[in-house]
Amino acid sequence: MLDAVDFAGRRATAPAERSRSTSEPAAIRWLLIALAAAFLGVFLFLPLAAVFATAFGNGALAYLHSFSDPDTLSAIRLTVIAAAIAVPLNVVFGIAAAWVIGKFEFFGKSVLITLIDLPFSVSPVVAGLVFVLLFGLQGALGPWAIAHGIRIIFAVPGIVLVTIFVTFPFVARELLPTMEAQGNEEEEAALTLGASGWKTFWRVTLPNLKWALLYGVILCNARAMGEFGAVSVVSGHIRGLTDTMPLQIEILYNDYQFVPAFALATLLALLALLTLAAKTIVEWRTNR
Amino acid sequence: MSIGVRGITKRFGSFVALDDVDLEIPDGQLVALLGPSGSGKTTLLRIVAGLEFADSGTITFDGADITRRSAGERRVGFVFQHYALFRHMTVFENIAFGLRVRPRSSRPREAQIRSKVGDLLQLIQLQNQAARYPSQLSGGQRQRVALARALAVEPSVLLLDEPFGALDAKVRLELRRWLRQLHDEVHVTSVFVTHDQEEALEVADRVAVMNEGRIEQIGAPGEVYDRPATSFVFNFLGNVNLFHGRIDNGTTYIHQTKTDHLVFVRPHSLEITRRSPDGVNHFRAVTKHINAAGPIVKVEAVTEWGATVQVEMSQERFRSLCLTKGEEVFVMPTQLTVFRSGERSPAANPLA
Repeated sequence: MLDAVDFAGRRATAPAERSRSTSEPAAIRWLLIALAAAFLGVFLFLPLAAVFATAFGNGALAYLHSFSDPDTLSAIRLTVIAAAIAVPLNVVFGIAAAWVIGKFEFFGKSVLITLIDLPFSVSPVVAGLVFVLLFGLQGALGPWAIAHGIRIIFAVPGIVLVTIFVTFPFVARELLPTMEAQGNEEEEAALTLGASGWKTFWRVTLPNLKWALLYGVILCNARAMGEFGAVSVVSGHIRGLTDTMPLQIEILYNDYQFVPAFALATLLALLALLTLAAKTIVEWRTNR
Repeated sequence: MSIGVRGITKRFGSFVALDDVDLEIPDGQLVALLGPSGSGKTTLLRIVAGLEFADSGTITFDGADITRRSAGERRVGFVFQHYALFRHMTVFENIAFGLRVRPRSSRPREAQIRSKVGDLLQLIQLQNQAARYPSQLSGGQRQRVALARALAVEPSVLLLDEPFGALDAKVRLELRRWLRQLHDEVHVTSVFVTHDQEEALEVADRVAVMNEGRIEQIGAPGEVYDRPATSFVFNFLGNVNLFHGRIDNGTTYIHQTKTDHLVFVRPHSLEITRRSPDGVNHFRAVTKHINAAGPIVKVEAVTEWGATVQVEMSQERFRSLCLTKGEEVFVMPTQLTVFRSGERSPAANPLA
């Protein structure tokens, strides 16, 4: 019998040198590297540094003091609530949609794929307006909701709804290629071994998806917390009640309160950095 | 457990994958479904497994109708061409899967699972690889794990879909002998699908030759090889020389032009001589290519009317003939089968 191939060992001993004919002269190499570094510096590093520099412009105490404002705290709370509702729901929707599209053939499949992508192609402001038109005073469902004492527009439910809409594609889009690439054979094997459909899903399908799923959740969460346009339209900007973090940052900035505005912005920036780190770890795990 | 397939028909859109197929497999036999791709053999296997459902017809296990039962209820062991091992589980957990997913009432205790998986690991000679993941195993090892996983649930029948199709030639040979040996020990009714006639003839108790959604012939390997029921089976099982001919008063005449009869002769049923065999049907040919590697010498010759024939002979015969390339020789068929053009079964089976 053949021995197992040690993949890790093979990768380590693979020749890493490139042939001379395909590499550029040193001067050109350094020029290209410098250009790339300058671009990254101006467009990525400098803005990030500026956010932190302004936030800490009056010292660490002033930075920490920014978070004692009740409106700011309420904005943070609302953002976390919106993400805590939107992300789990989109995980369920995303798995269901990817499962149906990836494992079955049916009429209207391409239409469903297009619909899942719709939130990507629609401007967030338009997405917000759609919900205002739907649930507003003159909207199709608005009068009914208000008659039953449910406030959606200019209230928390509206913010949660638009967040779900805007972040809908992330999980499904991440899962689809993995689902399609893995095919049905492992599930069929599980079924012939006597596993029920439910057990097959939990023990075979889901574990095979876990890294793609985590990746989708990370991206979905980052977008849910950072969304501005759609939330801005349905929020109504009631201070301390319907402002999320991005909206509160804008309000503080327009009030010339630069330190509190940028202090709050550092939280979103940190979220972005954490997301990047988590994304890198997940990618490293999946490629292993 | 015996398997009964009666009147199974399956369509995919307008394509008829299986056309009213009947097949009886007695308890304990190892049967090969042999045919070219698209002949419906894999579809038939999947219908027996319950992974696919027929448009009409019935499937029985030991006489009981199980046509509507799901794959899990049928208790079949299924081995996939590309193994379909659970990639996130170790070899041990892969084999234990079928035991662990049982309902709590019938699930064996952990100690029982361990000893059962241990036995199976020994059977497939992979005791040291229990903690490895499928991606760390070779193709042959993966297929043996897949087989152990299927056997763990003590299936009533074992179904294998091109089990050696994705392996290289040497491992293939080794594994199919091992499968034969395993079957002699375990005695579970088994069906395997293959497009490799050599594999089918070597491993199976009986071979069912399939073509275009039908079973052309079923029988013991020697039977289908020596007495093919149809021209397709003759063509598909081994090399064959094709001649046009006619039958006159019970005697077969090989013709040089197109006639309404086809004469099939296996390469080893053609004999080369140096002298004209008096009174025996023969023709003249010129040797074109000789392959003397291996126990059988393969000679390619061009007949007097320009057709190419394949002749096989033993090394002894080859040496006694002192045959070389470009020689004129006499060729005579020792055994031949005649089919009427357009008809499926042989017209007559006379010796020339």
